[in-house]
Amino acid sequence: MKLACVVHRFGADIAGGSEAHCRAIAERLAERHEVTVLTTTATNHITWANEYAAGESRVGRLRVRRFPVARQRSLHRFAELSEVAFSRSASAEDEAGWFRENGPETPALLDYLREHGRTFDRILFWSFRYFQTFFGLPLVKDRAVLVPTAEDDPVMRFDSLGPFFSLPAGFVFLTLEEQALVARRADRPLAPSCVIGSGLDPAPSSPRARPSGLDVAPPFALYLGRIDPNKGCGTLLRHYIRYASEAASPVSLVMAGPANMPVPDHPRIRCLGYIDEATRIWLLSRASLLIVPSPYESLSMVLLEAWNHAVPALVNGRCEVLEGQSLRANGALWYRTYDEFAACLEYVFRHPDTARRLGRQGQAYIDREYRWPHVVGTLDAFLGSLATRAEAV
Amino acid sequence: MAPAAVKPEDRVSVADLMQEIEERVRGDRRSRLLARGGPREYEDKDVFATVDAALRRALEGRDPDVLLLPDLVGDDHDWRLQTHLTFASHRGAIGPLIIWVKRRVVLPLVRWLHEYNLENFRRQERVNRLLFTCVEELAIQNAKLTKELQDRRIAGLQEATTRTEGKAPEGIG
Repeated sequence: MKLACVVHRFGADIAGGSEAHCRAIAERLAERHEVTVLTTTATNHITWANEYAAGESRVGRLRVRRFPVARQRSLHRFAELSEVAFSRSASAEDEAGWFRENGPETPALLDYLREHGRTFDRILFWSFRYFQTFFGLPLVKDRAVLVPTAEDDPVMRFDSLGPFFSLPAGFVFLTLEEQALVARRADRPLAPSCVIGSGLDPAPSSPRARPSGLDVAPPFALYLGRIDPNKGCGTLLRHYIRYASEAASPVSLVMAGPANMPVPDHPRIRCLGYIDEATRIWLLSRASLLIVPSPYESLSMVLLEAWNHAVPALVNGRCEVLEGQSLRANGALWYRTYDEFAACLEYVFRHPDTARRLGRQGQAYIDREYRWPHVVGTLDAFLGSLATRAEAV
Repeated sequence: MAPAAVKPEDRVSVADLMQEIEERVRGDRRSRLLARGGPREYEDKDVFATVDAALRRALEGRDPDVLLLPDLVGDDHDWRLQTHLTFASHRGAIGPLIIWVKRRVVLPLVRWLHEYNLENFRRQERVNRLLFTCVEELAIQNAKLTKELQDRRIAGLQEATTRTEGKAPEGIG
C-alpha cells in the first residue's frame, strides 16, 4: 500500500509522545509499504518556529516531506482563545479559531493534501488537536485513518468534535478507554477501529554499576518525564511532602526529567533534570515503584516502560486510561486522594513481595499486548481490511 | 535476566488489593471525622459508606457538562463565571483605538493580576460544577427512592385489594 503519515513534528530529536509514536509506527510500516511522512519544519512545540528546511528528504526507508509554518504561535493569544473556547458559550468559530492558533499553521500541507491526497491508499493523521489534522483530515476523509491520541481534557468537550469524529474512514486507538471516550463524543457510531497502543522491545539488561555522578541509592520511588503542573507534578509534590512528614520511614522520591516548574528543596526529593539513556535504564531497573500522577493520558508510555522492567506503579486514578491499564495488567495501584496515595505507598514498601509480583504481572502484560510484532501485525491487518470509501464506490 | 513469571497460584488481583486499601482508608477517614466532631450519623459505618459512595458517584461518574440543573437555573450569562476577557467600547469612531490601547498597553501591564485571578476563578468554576453534580446526584437518588416507595405502596394496595376480593363475604355459602 501507499501510505502517508501526517504529524505536527517529526524527527529523531523530537521528544513528544504522539510524534515518537508516529515515527515508530511509520518506520515499521515502511518495512512492508511505501510510506511518506507529511509534517512541518517545526521542532519547538511552543512556538512552532521553522527550524528544519522545507521540502523532501529521506530518513531511512521513509520519504519525509516538510511544509513551512506560516506563523509562530502567540502564547498570550492562545491563552485568551483557550479561555473563550473552553467556556460553555463558545461558538463553532471560537473552536475553529482555537485549532488554528494551536497550530502549527501549515496551509501548504493542506494544499498538498488537496492536490495529492488521492494518490495515497491510506492517510494516517496523528492527534486531532493540531492544525494539520483538524483542517487536513476533512480534505481526504474517504481514506483518512485518525490516531486521535485523545485525553479526557477540556478540548474533548468542543461541540465541533461531534461531526469531526464522524469523518474518518477508520480509527487507531491507544487504549480501550480512549476508544470509549471518542465514541461518546462522536455524533454517529464510529468508523471501524483497532486498539494497538504502542510497541516495546524487551528491556535491555541493566548496567550493574551506577552511572557516574548519579547520587541515588535504592529504595526510591521514581517519577520519569517532564516535571510540569499539567502532568500532575504539583499534586504529586504536595502529596509526597505531606507523606514524608507523616510516615515513619518515608522512601525517597527521585524525579528525572526537565523541570517546567519549581521543585521544592526537600531532603528526600532528588530532582535529576534531563538524564541520558543509561541513567534512565539504571533508574527504571532499580526503582521500587514508578509514580504516574498525570490526570490526562491517552497512553502512558512511561508506565509501559516500567512494566517492561518489571517495576510496579502507582498511578492517578482520576485518569480512566491509567486505572484501566492498571486493572488489565494487574501491575499498578492507584490513588484519587492524599489518603489513598499514602496508603498505597505504605502498602508497596511494607509488602515488597507483593510489589514484585505486581511488577512481574505488568511485564507479562507487556509481553502479551505490547511487543512490536503483535502491534504492527494488528495495525497492518486493520489497514489492509479497511476498504476506503473511494474503493467501495 | 528477566524475572520469573508469576505462577497462577501467586497472582495478585489489583482490584481486590485496591478494595482492601480503599476500605481501610475509608475507615480511617470516618474515625478522623468523628474524632473532629463530624456528623454523628457517621457512627453507623453503613451510613458513612453509602454517603461516600453517593458522593463518589457524583464526582466521578457524572458528566458535569450534561446536567439538568444548569438548564433550570436559567441564562448562563447571569450565573456562569466568565474567565476570558472581552474588550469592547461604546464610543463610535475612537472605539477601535480604545480597544487597541486596552489590549496592547493596559493588558500587558496588568496581566499578572489577571492571571492570578484567573487561576482562582477556574477553581471556583470547578467547585460550582462539582456542587451542581452533587446536588443533581442527590436529586436523582431522592427521585428513585420516592418512586420505589410509591411502587411498593401501590403493590401493597393491590395485594390488599386482591386479598379482600378473593375472600368470600361472611354469611354466604
